[in-house]
Amino acid sequence: MEQTMTKLGVPLLCLALAAAAIPAAAHHSYAMFDMNKTVVLEASVTRFKWQNPHAFIEADVAVGGASEHWAIEMTSPNNLAQEGWKRTSLKPGDRVRIWVHPLRSGARGGSYVGVRLTDGSTLGDVG
Amino acid sequence: MRLPYAACAAALALASPAVAQLGAATQSAPPDGVAEGQGAANPRGHYAALDALPDWGGIWFVMAGPPGSAAPPEPKLKGEYLQRREAWAAEVRANEGVARRARSNCSPPGMPRIMRLAQYPYEFIFSPGRVTINQEAWMQTRTIWTDGRAHEEDPDPSFMGDSIGRWDGDTLVVDTIGISGELEIDTGWPHSDRFHLVERIHLDPADPDVLVNEMRMDDPEALAEPFEVTARYRRDRYGKLYEFQCSQNDRNPVDEHGDTRFE
Repeated sequence: MEQTMTKLGVPLLCLALAAAAIPAAAHHSYAMFDMNKTVVLEASVTRFKWQNPHAFIEADVAVGGASEHWAIEMTSPNNLAQEGWKRTSLKPGDRVRIWVHPLRSGARGGSYVGVRLTDGSTLGDVG
Repeated sequence: MRLPYAACAAALALASPAVAQLGAATQSAPPDGVAEGQGAANPRGHYAALDALPDWGGIWFVMAGPPGSAAPPEPKLKGEYLQRREAWAAEVRANEGVARRARSNCSPPGMPRIMRLAQYPYEFIFSPGRVTINQEAWMQTRTIWTDGRAHEEDPDPSFMGDSIGRWDGDTLVVDTIGISGELEIDTGWPHSDRFHLVERIHLDPADPDVLVNEMRMDDPEALAEPFEVTARYRRDRYGKLYEFQCSQNDRNPVDEHGDTRFE
């Protein structure tokens, strides 16, 4: 947990300053996420939870020969629907690319930024 | 047979007060300021008059300020409330910006914070003598009585408080007291149980798909001066509120110390 993301060998296809605005006065503070950092995960979805207060993606991410399990928090389903998401947008087994703001703690979690779905379409900000 | 039977039933009823109470509807008196037969509890004959009210149909999402806009104003606290604020801020700084939260995420924020949540929309329902605000967040319901009643004399402290309102032209003016002193103005900004809020809610004259809520808060114990902040909401005409059952997806459970992992 004390290791940095880079030491963990997370596939950093993208490590950029994100211009995305921090959601104001949301359900909870976003301080546990590093909103200035974006990492990209080559992920195999294990669970997609389409429910308030926050939708959630859980996914296995291949790192070298090993696999890491990530939990990615999203905004509310109603907000996600406004940008085109549906309950059926993801399902277990989908291999997708996910952009996230990682947890500051180095734990394998993050705040959702964008996704490239199996059919190549994208949702959110995929920089 | 009849008389002894009736006497027996009366005796049984007297001997079983709990059963007797279960069978009887509560008979509350009209609230102060509302005559018998009038007010929100007697809506018949008053629905047509609602057509004179402004068009607030659809659902409404809090809008973020335009890019580069100034940070929202902050309350000016005093006394022990200022000390609590400073202690809270110091703890957050020491914890990389992450605030401790002493109650479950499934506990709603209550007023006035719930009127400024970015992620969950609202709808405004007009009916004779009242405006009902349904909030997607925690599926909360807020009632604003517009039938001329006065505030309750000593309302129980609650998450929504006691709200009475009136229409000033196309502006709904709402006065709220009775908000629990355990709640906050905003995260990390405490107030007392003497907190008082006035809201002026109206469509933006420049854009009828924007609703404006000018909020003014005062608190003789916690606030050094009234705190004014404006919330803006954008309309999604055909949107709907989603179900919000927090326990289905509570990612921030309370630990053995009664704390959650983050605010």
